[in-house]
Amino acid sequence: MFGQKISTRRRILKASWVLMLNLLLWIIVPYYAGMFLSKWIPSSPITIPAFVYEFGIVLTILDVAAALTQGMAVSVPFISGAALVSALYLWMITNGGNLAVSAQGTSIVLGFQLLVYLLIVPSLWAAVKAPLSYLVHRRNMQPEVPSNPAPA
Amino acid sequence: MKQKTPTGLKVIRGVSIAITLTLILILGTVFYSAYQDWNAVKSELSGPSPQATGRAVMQGASEVVSINITVPNKGLYALNVTVSCTPQANIVCSPAQVNVPAGEQGMLRFRMTIVDVAQYASSSNHRIDGTVAIQMVPFASLGIGVDLGGFVHQGGQ
Repeated sequence: MFGQKISTRRRILKASWVLMLNLLLWIIVPYYAGMFLSKWIPSSPITIPAFVYEFGIVLTILDVAAALTQGMAVSVPFISGAALVSALYLWMITNGGNLAVSAQGTSIVLGFQLLVYLLIVPSLWAAVKAPLSYLVHRRNMQPEVPSNPAPA
Repeated sequence: MKQKTPTGLKVIRGVSIAITLTLILILGTVFYSAYQDWNAVKSELSGPSPQATGRAVMQGASEVVSINITVPNKGLYALNVTVSCTPQANIVCSPAQVNVPAGEQGMLRFRMTIVDVAQYASSSNHRIDGTVAIQMVPFASLGIGVDLGGFVHQGGQ
């Protein structure tokens, strides 16, 4: 919500939580998932691509910046940017809803394009929602101009 | 004094709620259907009387392999199941397809002909590449590459 008075202490506290959560979600979980796959299923052709960590770092930076600037106009590009990056990440990690695995003579192809489109909708909406909410808030803050001003 | 929420923000909040609810509903039903279908197929194949039967019949120099599979659909979406094989020399097969509406079951009949069994038996590669494609209309599809050559060895020689 824009226009709210938020203390610096609260901003830093929230940014710390966001940082920890993002590091866990985008860096630590994929790293250990990759280790698990290579250690316990050595024949598995599934590997964690490098772009997962790159996206993780970008998303973490954007989310932390959005938390630090919460309630300010400058937070809008950070929120929208993070939403767009997460939509792109989802698209890339699922290969647009087409996953194929082939091992030991057996191949499995999974197609779920429509589900990916649906999963991307909330991220795209979040990217639009932030500037829209800010515009509505600004419009609401402006003093109403009378249609027929009284003569001086 | 409680501040009045602007109409614009109410609309934005409404759209967010609608998107979230729609997504939960769709994902919930898709995962529920996938789980139900998986359980149904598993119980059909591993039960006391398996609903998948394979038969190989010699007709002169050739062998006709027939595979009949009962496809149950206990999910909420229609299932489209196709079995096909990659065209190869000496092998003729007609792809089989069945559409099973939600809550019903269908029968898939797949036929494959080995034109010259002696030639097939003498060759070093007995693999017949086939594909089983299961589509949960319209959300997801699963394609599995299988070796149909196993059915020939079972009943043909």
